Amino acid sequence: MKKTVDISLPVGPMHPCFKEPCRIKCETRGEYVLAAEVELGYVKKGIERIMRGRPWQEVMFLAERVCGICSVIHNFVFIESVEHISGIVPTERAAYLRVIVNELDRMQSHLLANYSYCYTIEHETLAMYLLNLRETVMDQLELITGARVTCAFIVPGGVRCDISSDIADELRSALDHIDAELTRFIRIFETGPLIGLRSKGIGILTKDAAIESHAVGPTARASGIDNDQRSTHPTYTALGFSPVIRQEGDNFARIMVRFEEVFQSIRLIRSALEAMREGPIRGGGTIKAGSIRYRGEAPRGELLYELTTDDYGRILEIAIQTPSIPNIQVCAHAMLIDAQSAADITSIFISSDPCIACTER
Amino acid sequence: MSLLQHLKNSVRSRSIHVAYVNVGSCNGCDIEILACLSPRYDIEQYGIYVHNNPREADVLLITGAFSPQWEDKLKPLWDKIPHPKVAVAIGNCPISGCVFNRPETLVDPPVSKHIPIAAEIPGCPPRPTEIISTILSLAPLIFKDYEETIR
Amino acid sequence: MLSIINYIREFLRPHWITTFFTAKTAPLVTPPHFRDFPELTDKECTHCLACMMICPAPEAITVVKREEIWRPEITKGHCIRCGLCIEACPEDVLTSGRILAYKKEEELTLQGTFHIEIDQSKCMGCGNCTVACPVNREIDPALRSSGTSTSDEVIMRVDTGQNKVLHEEKCTGCKTCEESCSNGAIRVARIVEALQGGEK
Ligand code: SF4
Ligand code: SF4
Ligand code: SF4
Ligand code: SF4
Repeated sequence: MKKTVDISLPVGPMHPCFKEPCRIKCETRGEYVLAAEVELGYVKKGIERIMRGRPWQEVMFLAERVCGICSVIHNFVFIESVEHISGIVPTERAAYLRVIVNELDRMQSHLLANYSYCYTIEHETLAMYLLNLRETVMDQLELITGARVTCAFIVPGGVRCDISSDIADELRSALDHIDAELTRFIRIFETGPLIGLRSKGIGILTKDAAIESHAVGPTARASGIDNDQRSTHPTYTALGFSPVIRQEGDNFARIMVRFEEVFQSIRLIRSALEAMREGPIRGGGTIKAGSIRYRGEAPRGELLYELTTDDYGRILEIAIQTPSIPNIQVCAHAMLIDAQSAADITSIFISSDPCIACTER
Repeated sequence: MSLLQHLKNSVRSRSIHVAYVNVGSCNGCDIEILACLSPRYDIEQYGIYVHNNPREADVLLITGAFSPQWEDKLKPLWDKIPHPKVAVAIGNCPISGCVFNRPETLVDPPVSKHIPIAAEIPGCPPRPTEIISTILSLAPLIFKDYEETIR
Repeated sequence: MLSIINYIREFLRPHWITTFFTAKTAPLVTPPHFRDFPELTDKECTHCLACMMICPAPEAITVVKREEIWRPEITKGHCIRCGLCIEACPEDVLTSGRILAYKKEEELTLQGTFHIEIDQSKCMGCGNCTVACPVNREIDPALRSSGTSTSDEVIMRVDTGQNKVLHEEKCTGCKTCEESCSNGAIRVARIVEALQGGEK
């Protein structure tokens, strides 16, 4: 970056607002941000290198540990891509169970992202409310899969365990609770004048800039781009999925898209619970040789797995493109530019929901 | 040990300041630490404050399997923490490297090679309840016999 | 203005007020359905090594002989609490959370077949893996002292400076050989299938 300014302001690598180590280097004039660069590399583990030559039952766990916040979707996309290679079709009940667990995971991820944002703009009351609501979602995940974070729920041909009618009832009542609570929290968020001052019109990402820089996920959908991989997934289309889109493209829109997607997830889980019939949850099947590019929609956007397997069920080559890679770049090169105040740097960065762990793997 | 020291120690053990550092984790353990903050577990009622500022910390929570970038950063960070201090390893990663401890990996576990670790919480990730109860059982032990040396 | 009304509405709900005055944090308990570290039941382990075969974490589980009884031992700090060993064990030796009950109820199994690959350009014929292999040692106890085998029944043995695989079908996929090889010459491919409803 060329030195054009009087102050160059580093934020990070350890910062109270960041959950993970990363560093934003900003060139500023006064408080006005002229250019920004995100410096990464603090949590690089080399997961793709470790994955090579290993069977699915090991790679599945490594894939989950690409990102601990949205672990279910990594499991989901990895297993579906090896299933597509080997021509395995999950049983019907398993397909719905996958959607339920995946949407619960999306809910907790979105609530966590919005918690971080509220915390960053120093609205701690709302932040704590959201974090507490997230615990309700985590309880449901734990009840269904047995673990809170790295659930390891999806295996080729099906899922690990079934849900009984008791669990389904508990899930329904938890969803009602979340629905009621969140409606009130959103009312507070939408009408808060101070929240508006910190959010509305800040960190604008125009539709053109978003298309040009390949933004994905809620960041893109808040700028009016219809990009959601779930609209092409067979189970989701059967449940009547349609993406949430807003036009403003500022911090406020990104947070609201996530809130609305939580409601959408609630609707999806409810209709999946309705549509589910009794049946087997595992179909078996072994992994064959082949290669594939397969996409799925992670809470942060489009997730791409590109992999090659061999006849002994091992993964020979694998490349993962996670949604935070484009989003962090979009944030640094489009959203942070022209920020009027240094205090907005962290809030803009957090509003794009960056996940450093999956960016670096 | 002087009476004043006793008093200081007992006050210290009721007000613990925590910083956490991620040296290459998958985020799983970090969000479980974050979950401890939620009103459900409410870590602050036990007198534990999460500040994420090494200079005022007593307890450093370490997550992650030690990626190469931290080689020259973790030790200085540890030196910045004033005495008395302890480091607690959260999750399998700092203990053994978890699933990343394979021949092809870039990480360099365990973290105890680099800085002294006082306690370990196994699990991938550990539950918030496990994290809180370990810190609570550790707290009286760190400060009990601590004596300030005059420098 | 609307915002203030919303805040007041939030804080004047009866539910909010009651929880405000009767706030009590939950005790630090772990729910019974949580998938904790696997624990032993009183069933007898048959040393079939299915648990070691499935385990995704390095060095998390070993089956050892203590006082003439085989039993699996789990290393905390390595085990990631995935619960696969519980599903894979045919004798129900391990349990955790509700997995074991589930596995019985739904007849879930994980079955594998194995394929041993030795990279002859890397293998230097030291025979470490043949000695380390628990199946080999069971078949030919002489291996333990001499390090070489004359038996034709073993899975693999070093013959004229080269490691040869004789009985691939006896392999249980436990990966001990992989860990004992200093050159990374031996790889065991484990082809595992997740099944429901008994034998297929
Ligand atoms: S111990 Fe497990 S959950 Fe924690 S950081 Fe390591 S891989 Fe992630
Ligand atoms: S629970 Fe998973 S990681 Fe732990 S010993 Fe069993 S298979 Fe290995
Ligand atoms: S799978 Fe079960 S019976 Fe077989 S060795 Fe392991 S614990 Fe023993
Ligand atoms: S995996 Fe290796 S050590 Fe284990 S039974 Fe097979 S050949 Fe023997």
